[in-house]
Amino acid sequence: MKLLVLILNRLFWLVPTILGLIVITFTISHVIPADPVAFVAGDNATAEQIEALRKQLGLDQPVHIQLWRYIVAVVQGDFGVSLYTLRPIADDLAGRLPATLELTIVSVLVSAVIGIPLGVISALERNSILDHVLRIITVSGLAIASFWLAILFQLLFAMELGWTPLQGRVAGWGPDVVTGFFLVVSLLMADAEVFWDVVSHMILPVMTLAFPALATIVRFTRAGVLEAINSNYVMYEEAMGLPRRVIVWKYVLRNALIGTVTQIGLIFGILIAGAVVVEAVFDWPGLGYYAVQSILQSDYNAIMGFTIVSGVIFIVVNLSVDIVHGFIDPRESR
Amino acid sequence: MIHLSYGPRGVLHKLRRAAAVGLTGIAVGLASVAMPTDAEAKNTFIFANSSAYDTMDPHAVFDVGRVAYRINLYDGLMRWEDNPPELNLWLAESYEISADGLKYTFKLRDGALFHDGTAVEASDVVYSIERILALKKGASALFQDSIASGSTKALDKQTVEFNLNSPSAIFMATVPEIHVVNADLVKKHEVDGDWGSAWLSSNDAGSGSFMLKRFDPAKGFQADRFADHFMGWGDKYLDAIEFRTVVEINSRVLGLMKGDFHGSDGYMPQDQIIRLRKSDNVDVLEQESMRIFYGVIHNGRSPMNDINFRKALAHSFDYDGFINDILSGSVARNPGPLPNNIWGAPKDLEGYTFDLEKAKGYLAKMKEPPRKITIGALAGYGQTEQAAALMQNGLAKIGVESEIVSEPWPVVSGKMRDEQQMYDVLFLWKSTYYADPNNWVGEMYDGAKIGTRNNSWYQNPEVDSLLHEAQTTTDHAVREANYAKAATIVANDAGGIFIYNTKWFGPINKKATGFRFCPIGNGQEMRWVHFD
Repeated sequence: MKLLVLILNRLFWLVPTILGLIVITFTISHVIPADPVAFVAGDNATAEQIEALRKQLGLDQPVHIQLWRYIVAVVQGDFGVSLYTLRPIADDLAGRLPATLELTIVSVLVSAVIGIPLGVISALERNSILDHVLRIITVSGLAIASFWLAILFQLLFAMELGWTPLQGRVAGWGPDVVTGFFLVVSLLMADAEVFWDVVSHMILPVMTLAFPALATIVRFTRAGVLEAINSNYVMYEEAMGLPRRVIVWKYVLRNALIGTVTQIGLIFGILIAGAVVVEAVFDWPGLGYYAVQSILQSDYNAIMGFTIVSGVIFIVVNLSVDIVHGFIDPRESR
Repeated sequence: MIHLSYGPRGVLHKLRRAAAVGLTGIAVGLASVAMPTDAEAKNTFIFANSSAYDTMDPHAVFDVGRVAYRINLYDGLMRWEDNPPELNLWLAESYEISADGLKYTFKLRDGALFHDGTAVEASDVVYSIERILALKKGASALFQDSIASGSTKALDKQTVEFNLNSPSAIFMATVPEIHVVNADLVKKHEVDGDWGSAWLSSNDAGSGSFMLKRFDPAKGFQADRFADHFMGWGDKYLDAIEFRTVVEINSRVLGLMKGDFHGSDGYMPQDQIIRLRKSDNVDVLEQESMRIFYGVIHNGRSPMNDINFRKALAHSFDYDGFINDILSGSVARNPGPLPNNIWGAPKDLEGYTFDLEKAKGYLAKMKEPPRKITIGALAGYGQTEQAAALMQNGLAKIGVESEIVSEPWPVVSGKMRDEQQMYDVLFLWKSTYYADPNNWVGEMYDGAKIGTRNNSWYQNPEVDSLLHEAQTTTDHAVREANYAKAATIVANDAGGIFIYNTKWFGPINKKATGFRFCPIGNGQEMRWVHFD
């Protein structure tokens, strides 16, 4: 019941949060001294031509009127069109979001699946050689710039060893997209060749994104497990003669994971933002480059569209984290 | 306190073994996957482009970075080709200019077809110019002053007549920018008077050498050879082209070296060119382009309105250091506002040298010491920032304080048109939009274009008079002499800090031949290219 209330509460706050996000981003993007109209009109446009275009695009209106019009349009599901291409922003986002989401979700899953057991083992084997090695690896993961790591991975695995593709999301153009999630598409098509091709293209970008994420998860899980195994209830369970694996993997891990799961939620948001660099290096056709380019060009509708989508994703991920907390620790959802 | 001595050693051992087996499996599996460089198999040329193709509308943008779809999917009446650029007949088989220089009549060639098989007719040319004027985007500004909406006539199916507002010597040079679209097809997709913009941004209505197969703004575009193109095809040609957006330079270079890409842009840093030259897969073609790098000086504001200060600025820039040390000699010194290789460029112009004593001498002639100046640079364009830093260093040595302001292009672009907001000095490039001297000195230093295309607020009646004559007369000798003289006066006035003309280093796969570089098309016209 408490969980349901929590979900409804979060969904209720979604609206004012997104509204606030729109107002702040819209205002900032419109008051910075950039003139996208002059940019769109081209180098050779005269002042009169620029003003005519400004009027045509409705950008001659005061910012609050433009903001109100934008909010009304968004409520009606219209994200507007790009200043530069006149393409619907919704189409641009729909074409790119799956690529970024697929990369991010797989990276988070990989880092969690590898990171949580390593964190547990690191805690159980604390101060052993294995623990020290893992510490070196995880600290490196947090310290190494992903840009540099990505290029090193390319040089080693794609250029030297020839094990993986250099860049791109799939060889050639890829399957005609239904969902935009190539892993899902290739599984639905039951096409092992395409699936393997998609996986092989994913290895290097996922390694690059997952490495620092994995480092965080290992550190948090290790700390959580260490804290838990020093608790009185573990001492009690030990005294009760419960099997060790049950104590560790059922009781200790469950308590230790609260902090880790919270971190995974944050990591998801960070990875979506951090994907900009990785997408650039691996030529991954996601949202990152689109967002950067929109900001540099002051393509207002594109900036707003990206911001709203990112905001919704972040809120949904955090809601999911709260729900998972409820499952891990039922006291939270009672 | 419990001493946890029950670490799952057995589990650890199993994990290690599983990891070893797994990694070996992955390595073997990956090695066995033949990574299809499907390009070679299908005779497709893959070009890695640094700019994203966010539209396929030939009238929406007018930049060098995205020129590929305009010249490969679309045709114009005329076309610039080769280097130095030659203006050749293309869709037109002939043209006439009336004695008063106002009427341009083009006769279209027989047999030119759009990709849907319909004939290219004069009415399509009329629709295209009207569309350009109405959209007010891309190359539109080139025609807004010279052509009125409704003034262009289709005299018959094969003949189109442009009626100019006033004589323009540069009109012919800009005709290739009138990319002809299939009027009937575009009209079918017009929505709310948008001239088919929404539809054409993702579709093809051209007659060019290649026809659009797929377009994804996140990836780029693919196009197949148009077998019925009026120009015909020889024995060797490409079956398809693919222009893919690869923003990261290292990825473009590695892709070229690996053979995944067959071409890329020709303006990479010299260290990357050196890497490419060592590759077994890549040839680097070298051409002097027409893209000058210079410092725009705000001539309309104190202290830059004092010629002594401008000359001090011109002598404070370390040209040799910039060209030979920072850019490893990969560009050519260009002492004036016209590229060295365009007709009309003054042959005997010496330009300024890095000479701090001379700079101090000019400073001493000023009535009062100069204030601190701002030097603008384009954020993300390293060369402009390096040039700004070098200028700042030179100025510091002669006792002039300066501040570097690096901002993104939309911000810079807006400030350049505002007399108050314009930087005191700003480093940037001037590319080739049309291969005529007017593209440079005629746009940059014409007093009539102050605040629009003249961003240096430079005004000199003698230069204006020379330029206006050159812009209206059709006498080539007069035009050549006038542009040379105007460029010399501007350089002597230190109207700007003229630094270099770009060299194009086009990385091309060794198996590809037939390239014809032209500064306007940036070496990206693919109809002549084929694999041996």
